[in-house]
Amino acid sequence: MKKTGPVEIVKPKDLGEAIAFVRKGGMPLAGGTDAFVRIRKGFWDPPFLVYIGELPELREVEIREGGAEVGAAVTHAELLRSEVPRRLPIFRLVLEKLGAPAIREMGTIGGNVANASPAGDTLIPLYLLEARVNLVGPDGERSLAIEEFVLGPGKTALREGELIVSFWIPFPEGDPVPYFHKVGRRRALYIAVLSLGALLWLEGDVIREMRLALGAVAPTVVRPREVEAKLRGRRLSHEDLEPLCAELSAATSSITDIRGPDWYRREAAGRLLLGLLRLREA
Amino acid sequence: MEELKVAEETRVVGQAVPRLDAEAKVKGEARYADDLAFPGMLYGKAIRSPVPHARIKRLDLSKVAAHPGVACVVSPADIPGENVVPVIYRDMPLLAAEVVRYVGEPVALLAAETREAAYRAAELAEVEYEELPAVFDPLEAVKSDAPQVAVPEAAETGNVFNHMVIRKGDVARGFAEADEIVEGEYRVGYQEHVYIEPQGVIAVPEAGGMAIYGTLQCPFYVQNAVAAVLGLPLSKVRVVQTATGGGFGGKEDVPSQLAAMAAVLAWKSRRPVKVVYDREEDIATTSKRHPAVIRYRTGAKRDGRLVAVEVEFYYNAGAYQTLSSAVLWRGLIHAAGPYRIPNVKVDGYSVATNTVPCGAFRGFGSPQVIFAHESQMDELAVRLGMDPLELRERNALRVGDRTATDQLLEESVGLMDAIERARELSGWERLRREAEEFNRREPFRRRGIGVSTVMYGVGMGAKAPLLDKAGAYVKVEADGSVTVAVGNTEMGQGALTVLAQIAAEALGVRVEDVQLAPVDTSRVPDSGPTVASRTTTVAGAAVLDAARKIRARIEAAAREVLGADAVEIADSKVWPAGGDSGRAVPLSEVTRWMWVHNWDMGATGWAQGAPVDWDPETGLGKAYFVYAYACHIAEVEVDLLTGEAKVRRFWAVHDSGKIVNPALARGQVAGGVAQGIGYTLMEYLPSLEGRIEGTLMTYRIPTAPDMPEELVIDFVEAPYSDGPYGAKGIGEVPLMASHAAVANAISHAVGARLTEYPALPERVFALARNKTHPR
Ligand SMILES: Cc1cc2nc3c(=O)[nH]c(=O)nc-3n(C[C@H](O)[C@H](O)[C@H](O)COP(=O)(O)OP(=O)(O)OC[C@H]3O[C@@H](n4cnc5c(N)ncnc54)[C@H](O)[C@@H]3O)c2cc1C
Repeated sequence: MKKTGPVEIVKPKDLGEAIAFVRKGGMPLAGGTDAFVRIRKGFWDPPFLVYIGELPELREVEIREGGAEVGAAVTHAELLRSEVPRRLPIFRLVLEKLGAPAIREMGTIGGNVANASPAGDTLIPLYLLEARVNLVGPDGERSLAIEEFVLGPGKTALREGELIVSFWIPFPEGDPVPYFHKVGRRRALYIAVLSLGALLWLEGDVIREMRLALGAVAPTVVRPREVEAKLRGRRLSHEDLEPLCAELSAATSSITDIRGPDWYRREAAGRLLLGLLRLREA
Repeated sequence: MEELKVAEETRVVGQAVPRLDAEAKVKGEARYADDLAFPGMLYGKAIRSPVPHARIKRLDLSKVAAHPGVACVVSPADIPGENVVPVIYRDMPLLAAEVVRYVGEPVALLAAETREAAYRAAELAEVEYEELPAVFDPLEAVKSDAPQVAVPEAAETGNVFNHMVIRKGDVARGFAEADEIVEGEYRVGYQEHVYIEPQGVIAVPEAGGMAIYGTLQCPFYVQNAVAAVLGLPLSKVRVVQTATGGGFGGKEDVPSQLAAMAAVLAWKSRRPVKVVYDREEDIATTSKRHPAVIRYRTGAKRDGRLVAVEVEFYYNAGAYQTLSSAVLWRGLIHAAGPYRIPNVKVDGYSVATNTVPCGAFRGFGSPQVIFAHESQMDELAVRLGMDPLELRERNALRVGDRTATDQLLEESVGLMDAIERARELSGWERLRREAEEFNRREPFRRRGIGVSTVMYGVGMGAKAPLLDKAGAYVKVEADGSVTVAVGNTEMGQGALTVLAQIAAEALGVRVEDVQLAPVDTSRVPDSGPTVASRTTTVAGAAVLDAARKIRARIEAAAREVLGADAVEIADSKVWPAGGDSGRAVPLSEVTRWMWVHNWDMGATGWAQGAPVDWDPETGLGKAYFVYAYACHIAEVEVDLLTGEAKVRRFWAVHDSGKIVNPALARGQVAGGVAQGIGYTLMEYLPSLEGRIEGTLMTYRIPTAPDMPEELVIDFVEAPYSDGPYGAKGIGEVPLMASHAAVANAISHAVGARLTEYPALPERVFALARNKTHPR
């Protein structure tokens, strides 16, 4: 139970200086809701922290033609209050279930993605909407698809000295119906045992197009594309969905941890497909 | 106490007076243990065993002592008095000298200039352990070939610390007469208190003795423990309670251990030493609710009349006795529930294992058996095709009935009223019907309605009758304000306010004129421990006793001052009896006159619980002087796709006699409902080979959205003639009743019996799909 002592925090004057500090080994610090917990426990022992939470380039939310640009240091609460959930209602469903008000006020979308937890809630809409991650580092700027950026639990494609600046979130065609179910052992302030997010393009009760994202059932968030493909053209009915539950289960590679056993994650993930039927009530 | 009138007109008692400690807490002025600092203060830390069972071959603290900032190290040889944490038995050492019996057991201590230095230095101890076979499960530990965990002098046989029985009637005959018999095995794991303030004390050497400041429930237990380890007379040890952020039983015996550690370090270093746990250390190494296995058999006639109950239950006590014998006893007495049963056989065992010692937690050994008896009642109702509420009504104890221990209930049994009120408030029949309709309509959601009825023995009971006493000191000041001193502690439950109301009522003063003295063992009378829902009942009676003596003097003085034959006093005003209260004079005129004329302004009061008497051979007798009762009803919704359960609505009706402060009583009930929801649904603390690792991120307690959207609380008051103004206890009862109602609602919703807490989503998921999953 090692406890780390005080850690120095530097506050760069601009993005360039931030990159320089990070290159020297400093760990980026945004809201600190992940970083401070781990540092205090002794899991992380960074030489120093680089506070990026107020850099203007990382703080903007901009609605543009065809999509939204969201700064990495935008907090979950700010995002929830922004124009984004109105255009992309899946964000409302997800962010309202993230942590609790205090955590949402401090935690950022960039921190959530950089943390690369398979249970990271904002990854669900980012995967569903096929967002891109805009990075800047000593060698300039680059942009990666979210699925290329997240490599595994706590592992990303970030290179030395690189920071996430923003996310480009394209608006999908039409008006897909959003769905999100986050399973947990209580109603607030919990990390997902598993989660399922979806976007459905419906014609009457026929699924014209469909995207699914599963959280906390594999090393990264999963898009079960084969299941998505098979759902196309089916009705939003018990008879049509039920046969695909087992396939959705098979798309997982769950582990047992403190939050739940593997068999449960696998089976419940499949069953959650039937949760889409609740969209008929709405 | 004998002339006590029940249901007399009251002005202050029965009012929702705001808590006297609220303002200081809201403003952040209350000082908790970790807020205090003393010049030259060091930070103490225990060096703990990483293994569950081992012989200590070598203990080398030289690297610890050499670490920068370390001022003092303590090994068992440095303890000036006895190496013991005295609780009920004396088997638990302060520092394990030869054998460690659980992961986290302290083997040495250190104190350093900073917290960080203390943490780092603690990792430098070189301790060589020769590991011994260990046992973690009580059912394994009772086997004849199990490793010996218990210190032999503290155990009845092998690892069985205590085996207690009830033998009433003839269960064999009872079951032979039964038309239906149900049977089940029930399991529960740990429940952690999660008091908002972790354990913490500061030891400060003073005047040849030791002062202890700390967050604690039982200052006189701490005084006793510190005197023992320092080898000092009790009078040289002074214990001061700091503002205490919750206890729930977790600060009954554990502060004695912390205080003894801090005291030994302070004694050796001659400097103040603070020992404050962080949440992880607190969860890993302090007491919790006992995990249990309960085997239960219930027999009834076709009309629902219970004829026999047979119970065998095992509590995992952990490595040392601490409070387990008392916890087991309360479990024993409560095992059969609040029902009229002619034939009862109960066998309770508390068993030593290589795990952290369990202890007191709200309900004190009763919630585990209540889960079992209330599950059995519902099983029986299903079998008999009878409404579960009606089944309870048919068997509920009434005045004139005899309990499972054959105690005749002579008064104050409000159970039937509580059931009736709960039935009415919840609209029971409609509620059940609506749930059925919902379930027919909904493909993937199920609603269930569950009920539980409980009884609770107020006070220490016949296992420790000598502890049910209380002293109080009441002093009226020259200006008519009042100081009350008791040794009972405020930990958030509102005891100070309730005692002030009782004093104000008896004296005829306004409650805001009453001040409770800070608890300091050198200045307040010993009022016994603040446990067992006893403070209002027993300490309240002591305050009343003292206040009545003062009241008599005030009346005598007032007669002289006013020149009247008789006087009336209320709201801190005095007037001639039968006269015009509009012409009253302030009470301060009378008290000033008393002070000027050299009257004795103070009085001590004393109270003892009414006599109890119980035979350990048969388990029969008067176990407690009075019982409180409750009936809870829960509506739960289960998501069949995921197994998630949510409590939607909840009705809680209590008989705790006269309710002294309805707002505080409601607070107790709401908190108990929350804690019960947590116990049933989510609070999960696995132990792997005796190793407990929990944080508040992994050990989940309910949050505000986990509370029912509708929580209806009500009281039926069956006054107790020996309680102050008819009051009984309430503190523990809400938790005892709530969890079982939730459990029964889940079973009702999914149509299969929940037999293990907590009902985590995966367990409910498996239950609903009618399969058992691997443990
Ligand atoms: C009580 C509690 C509840 C929580 N509940 C949830 C929940 O429900 N769902 C959920 O998904 N998470 C939850 N979390 C985790 C956490 O709050 C989120 O992951 C949050 O979004 C992290 O953001 P942050 O700004 O606080 O990150 P920080 O702690 O500041 O940083 C986290 C990591 O990201 C890196 N980083 C931060 N910003 C950047 C950047 N711009 N470029 C590169 N690297 C960067 C940091 O170096 C660090 O390694 C919870 C945490 C707590 C303490």
